[in-house]
Amino acid sequence: MPIGKYVILAAGALAGLLALPPLSQAEEVPAVVRFGYLNGPRPWILGKADQSFDKALGTKVQWINFPNGPNELNALAAGEVDIGRIGSVPTVSALVRKVPIKVIAVSGVIATSERLIARKGIDSVKALEGHAVAYPPGSTAHYALLAAFKVHQVDVSKVRQVQLKPGDLLAAWKRGDIDAAYVWGPFSQQLEGENGHAILATKDLQPAGYFLFNDYVVRKEFAEKYPGLVVKFLKTFGDTVARYKADPDGSAAIIAKELDQDPAAAKDTLAGLIYPPLNEQRTTAWLGDGHDSGNAVITKSFADTARFLVEQGELRAADLPSDFAPFIDTSFLAKAVAAP
Amino acid sequence: MSTASVARSARLGPLISIASVAAFVLLWYEAARLGWASSLILPAPGEVLDTALQMLNDGYRHVPLWQHVAISLGRALAAFAAALVVGIPLGLAMGLSPILSSILDPFVQFLRPLPKLALIPLVIVWLGIGESSKIFLIFVSTLFSVIVGAAAAAGSVKVGRLRLARAFGATRRQQLWYFVLPSALPEIFTSVRLAFGVGWTTLIAAEMVAADSGMGWMVINASSYMRTDIVMLGILLLGVTGYLLDLAVVGLQRAVVPWAGRE
Repeated sequence: MPIGKYVILAAGALAGLLALPPLSQAEEVPAVVRFGYLNGPRPWILGKADQSFDKALGTKVQWINFPNGPNELNALAAGEVDIGRIGSVPTVSALVRKVPIKVIAVSGVIATSERLIARKGIDSVKALEGHAVAYPPGSTAHYALLAAFKVHQVDVSKVRQVQLKPGDLLAAWKRGDIDAAYVWGPFSQQLEGENGHAILATKDLQPAGYFLFNDYVVRKEFAEKYPGLVVKFLKTFGDTVARYKADPDGSAAIIAKELDQDPAAAKDTLAGLIYPPLNEQRTTAWLGDGHDSGNAVITKSFADTARFLVEQGELRAADLPSDFAPFIDTSFLAKAVAAP
Repeated sequence: MSTASVARSARLGPLISIASVAAFVLLWYEAARLGWASSLILPAPGEVLDTALQMLNDGYRHVPLWQHVAISLGRALAAFAAALVVGIPLGLAMGLSPILSSILDPFVQFLRPLPKLALIPLVIVWLGIGESSKIFLIFVSTLFSVIVGAAAAAGSVKVGRLRLARAFGATRRQQLWYFVLPSALPEIFTSVRLAFGVGWTTLIAAEMVAADSGMGWMVINASSYMRTDIVMLGILLLGVTGYLLDLAVVGLQRAVVPWAGRE
């Protein structure tokens, strides 16, 4: 009875299909998801080392390295990066210039991971008058330096400001061309190893209202096409932070090895950031829940940073959006926190 | 083609060039107007013009626009002058002396194609972050093209003429002045033109080193903030200045070696 057999088989197959979740629910997965990362040691690098993002997303993750935030910004604008960690200052440049990205989470608040390093004998920000100070242009450190000048009432005309990429700082420092630099790890530790000492850290500027952080941004088109992957990404990021907090020393060693950096410096930088738990980020203390995001701390600091960059002549006042809340999307965060 | 038609196309030449540039600008304008690309990716000509006008008034980052152009031009010209002073005698000497050529050639051939960006870390260590490191970067990228050009030019001097000169008892100095230089100069000018072109492209790399002014720096800094309108403006300025520089060299060539190409 061959025909009867086929009927039974077909019926069985049909039943099997019905038992499966509807096809529309299963999200299509791209062949590769591109992450943009910078050289700074961060917990999510744990997921680069053991490929936990590849496993969670169910596809290949390509990690693209950038020497500084502005370079990553250009790649984001070109659509060459899907998800990226970037500083709050380049993020603001991107949002003001209408790069199609969404801010999905805070990755870490800069506390002591970025600091102003000066030569022995220069002990205060004010004492920088008459000296040369270097900084990576367009970065959170650049913003923090200018903020420090303002807070400490430094006569800016008496300071020689030098734009240098982080990688070029050490050479200029060793030659004696610069007397101070505002920079992040591992470069800050390199300067400290060459007779430098920190005279200010970014967290010292918080009381004066300067709030600097790193965030995760996602390409708009990617977020619309693969919302499930963005949720999985955030959840896995949360896991890496938990792993780091459970074992800072061991994690720092893994991250340093992955980035080919000095373990002690990596540990120091990792400890110099504050990692707000994902389940707290949907309050106005951070990003807000989407309805109250206009009053959230992060939204306000984006607006402050934007105004500051206009003052500096870097951005056009006409380009400024009235509100930064529409660029923040915490729906992925809500799902990531709710997911088991 | 007949002589008359060659002459006619020579007269038409500039007109055709103007028309082709106008067509390009129109295409750019339409592309922006029809929204083929966002203003972030392709700023409209009007936007770039607005930025230019605003900068003519306020300058860019507290430095007047003309000063950015002048500073870059100054850096490039200083480097070009040094490259000519060092490169032409060295190249001629290499072209005339096979032994010297054998000694120096490996270094010249190694350094000439080297990406000059790779030298930045070393240049900072050697020369610091002042003007000298910026000028040096443009200098090295120009120098080797000048040397190679001058050596080739000296090598192409017709041997028969030199023999004739020697037979008539010309001293080495006379040989160089009356025989080598006149026949080598047109070729040297051509290679200098090319070398300046190469050197001009290094301006961006040079102004990546701790600059706070100059057209190259303008482009780099504006890109840090996604100001593609300023980037475009900077590129236009770099291109136009480079073009004028080239025209100046061509003019100089016509004045100094009017016999070029008429042998």
